[in-house]
Amino acid sequence: MKSVMSNKFVIALYTLPALLLILVLIYIPIGLSGYYGLMDWDGIGEMKFIGLDNYITLIQDKVFWSSTWHSFLLAIFSTASLLLYLAISLILASKIKGSDLLRKIYLIPMLLSSVAIAQLWMKIFDPTNGMLNTLLGYFGVENPPIWLADPEIVLYAIFIPIIWQFAGFYILIYYAALKNVPDEVIEAAKIDGANPLQIAFKIKLPLISGVFKVTIMLAVVGSLKYFDLIYVMTGGGPNGASEVMASYMYKEAFKLNNFGYGSAIGFGLLVICLVMTWLTSQLTKSKDEVQF
Amino acid sequence: MSEVRTQQVTPSLSTEKPKKSFLNKIGFGFLYLLLGGFAIVQIYPLIWLLFFSLKTNKEVFGMSPFSLPQDPQWGNYTKAWTSGNIGVYFFNSVWITISAVILTVILASLVTFAVTRMNWKLSGPVLGLFLVAYMIPLHSTLIPLFKMYNSTNLTDNPLSLILSYTAFNLPLTIMILLGFYKTFPREIEEAAVMDGCSVHRIFFQITLPMTVPVLSTTAIINMIYNWNEFVFVNTFISSDKWKTLTVGINNFVGQYLTDWGAIGATLVISIVPILLAFLFLSDKIVEGMAAGSVKG
Amino acid sequence: MIKKKAFTAVMSMAIAGGLILGGCSSSDDTAKDSDGSSSDKTVVKMMHIWSEGSSKAQYTIVDDIIKSYEEENPDVDIQTEILANEQYKEKIKVLSASNELPDVGVTWAAGYMKPYVDANMFTPLDDVVEKDKFVAGTLDAFSVDDTTYGLPLELNITPVYYNKEIFEKYNLEVPETYDEFLNVVETLADNGVTPITLGNRDRWTGSMWFMYLADRIGGKDALNNAINRTGSFEDPALVKAAEEIEKLVNMDAFVKGFNGLSNDEAKGYFMNEQAGMYLMATWELPNYTTSPEVEQEFKDKIGYFKFPIYEGGKGDVDSFVGGPGIGLFVSEQSKVKEEAKDFVSYLVEEWGKRSVEDAGVIPATIVDTSSGDLHPMYIDILNDLSNATNLTLYADVQMSAGVADVHLNQIQALFGGQTTPEEFAKTQEEALAAEK
Repeated sequence: MKSVMSNKFVIALYTLPALLLILVLIYIPIGLSGYYGLMDWDGIGEMKFIGLDNYITLIQDKVFWSSTWHSFLLAIFSTASLLLYLAISLILASKIKGSDLLRKIYLIPMLLSSVAIAQLWMKIFDPTNGMLNTLLGYFGVENPPIWLADPEIVLYAIFIPIIWQFAGFYILIYYAALKNVPDEVIEAAKIDGANPLQIAFKIKLPLISGVFKVTIMLAVVGSLKYFDLIYVMTGGGPNGASEVMASYMYKEAFKLNNFGYGSAIGFGLLVICLVMTWLTSQLTKSKDEVQF
Repeated sequence: MSEVRTQQVTPSLSTEKPKKSFLNKIGFGFLYLLLGGFAIVQIYPLIWLLFFSLKTNKEVFGMSPFSLPQDPQWGNYTKAWTSGNIGVYFFNSVWITISAVILTVILASLVTFAVTRMNWKLSGPVLGLFLVAYMIPLHSTLIPLFKMYNSTNLTDNPLSLILSYTAFNLPLTIMILLGFYKTFPREIEEAAVMDGCSVHRIFFQITLPMTVPVLSTTAIINMIYNWNEFVFVNTFISSDKWKTLTVGINNFVGQYLTDWGAIGATLVISIVPILLAFLFLSDKIVEGMAAGSVKG
Repeated sequence: MIKKKAFTAVMSMAIAGGLILGGCSSSDDTAKDSDGSSSDKTVVKMMHIWSEGSSKAQYTIVDDIIKSYEEENPDVDIQTEILANEQYKEKIKVLSASNELPDVGVTWAAGYMKPYVDANMFTPLDDVVEKDKFVAGTLDAFSVDDTTYGLPLELNITPVYYNKEIFEKYNLEVPETYDEFLNVVETLADNGVTPITLGNRDRWTGSMWFMYLADRIGGKDALNNAINRTGSFEDPALVKAAEEIEKLVNMDAFVKGFNGLSNDEAKGYFMNEQAGMYLMATWELPNYTTSPEVEQEFKDKIGYFKFPIYEGGKGDVDSFVGGPGIGLFVSEQSKVKEEAKDFVSYLVEEWGKRSVEDAGVIPATIVDTSSGDLHPMYIDILNDLSNATNLTLYADVQMSAGVADVHLNQIQALFGGQTTPEEFAKTQEEALAAEK
């Protein structure tokens, strides 16, 4: 039996196509990114080799570290929000009435493109005519915050749409995972007298822990490299208050003609992702886990 | 399988029942209130988008976003449909998305199967390679990829999109599949091997059907990503005949003036097919469970 | 199960079909192209930013010009690729990094253009340009070392648009001095009307306010000298201009939350009559004159005035912030350079004849206002333009990309009260000085 499952040819057949794709389309660009980082290049003219200068500048760059911090905060909030999504999924996956319809409705925002989401939330945050401040006005709030224009709160304000954007994504995954839990196990527990909460915590959650750990990883890395809404809604402003690594990289490379430096930032992002992933996997390690 | 314990439950609760069910009702009522509230929050964007697409530019700004369009501008839809080649963009979006999704899901399944079910020393490192591939920021790859496609004459060719989407979605898809594959017991497959099945039979006829729910899940995720993808299309494609809907939206973003109503209409048009596909696939998540659960 | 299998089968055929289609079509095209170029037509590839959906008028003019050019030159085939502004800039970046610029494309002036010229990506256009046909100064913005690399298509100046009805309601007259202007601002603010709408999330909008103050206080050379390094950004006039900005902000002159509003969003307030004034370039003119999308009632209420003079300042009222908008370049590596250059000069000339009437865009070529019936506001603007004593090109266009970014960030900080006028000046002086 072992030999059937160790057939080298089959293994190669099954993994090589995908491996080839990512080696060519992802790893070559990663390599080139690091390589461009060694250059003084505006993206237009000639490249000039300057060794590790960009990387040294990067390490001392205050803007880079503040944007890293912002990305890191996003990762923390995103991971925390996973618990909320898990709770919602638990409810949806239980056999309460209407869960089917609710599930479908809850996932709808997932279908929206970033363009639509950006437009919607900018209307919500508009300081004068926006939905938020109009509502606050009804409650008698005199001077509501100016949200995206306020450097103190812009970061937290922009986190809301970002995290909301992925609600559907995680709920979908948790829901599928929960539905995967065999009915018999749940039935048996019920007969044993377990109440819904006990079933949730002692049976369902442990059985989907593998999936949950994967989503933590996805949330962390996804947050670290997040770009879309930040760039469209705040441009990283005001004055860098909501800058994240990916938007900083884009600006330097594409807007400021510092392509070499931008590439170095991109490579730095990658390294930070690696470190964070390793840290996260250490923190969520359990004895029988397959180590990534 | 856990033991089936018999227990007489009902009689001792006869006096407690009325109280419990009342509390229960309040609890449930409150729960439904919360759930319903959240549902409104989730469906509101769609309604808002619809209204948005029917407003004039003037209403979009300045007026309260809660307001209904005063004079529904159905013309926005006509404009969206006839300006530029939206029919072509639509068709391209559809087949490029489907192709990439199928390719991704199949390749990812093959890899995840090999990594979790087959015995080989390199499975860990290979998985690691896929994981690390997830970490690259999109824009870092633009120029290298463009150069590569350019030198292989694949620019302005939808193949560049399908391959790129697949490559970029593989890590994510594999990671999700991985989480699920681990929860499937290996006994069935081991039994099949003892029965003399080849690996291919095991994969296609046993494992794959078992994973339909998670395949639907990843299919939905991939589909949404590909459908709304924008940067690659913009960079690799130049001819109108290969462009997709997302780029079509930008037709309405002017140099100094943006036609928001038409953009809204285009967004609504582009969300319809994916909404339908989503509703279709999301049922599969539950269906697959009933049909494919193989336990005991 | 059967349904699923059928579904899979259909899908697989769809992909296969698609892949084959994809493969076939591009090879078909290449076949056609290679046949084409050798036997029939010279292909000139052009990229621009006027899509049919958003800039229909401009799109139509360009399309017509292309058609008539192709009629007169039957062996030339012009293919266009149209992208929105942001996406265009991004793609040009990618293309230039791979040496794949289109034969003809759009470029912005000065700071934007310079790296491309330095890298020999644009070809000199001196031999196809007739310098006296262009408004003075517009070609300079597209030249490096006296060689022209871009042919400008647009010219914009920046007046202050105002809502006449709102002014009348509060008995306000068009301000001619800055003190009168401050009075207007105060009156409106006291009465709960947003005096000025501003979308400073995009930052360049605030920069224009600063530039006018710099001009009116320090004269037309103050800012330019700081930028071209014959002067300093810490010139007292520039610091004073920053102080005036601070004063305006503290007077609540600008719409609430301006640092988080895009220009589009801010414009909405003006269009909805929730703000009295709006400082913006003449590309807005169609909204107040000819655009069919705007109600006539609103359009009749809008007028403009020139930025007021500052008592004791060196700038005069006929000095404007403004300059050329986009221009066209020809790629140095184009294989059809001569045809491309010929087409470009043809386009610019024909464009100049039609752009004002048909698209409401002021071209960089000199416009004959006597013929045709232009909307009175256009005639006024064109007259003001011909009487202009100076055009100061937008600061962030004059500066190189890196310094422009510092400038724009400082503008946002100044308006947001996060920096002092002195720091504002100092930071930019340092950035300018640090440039190689």
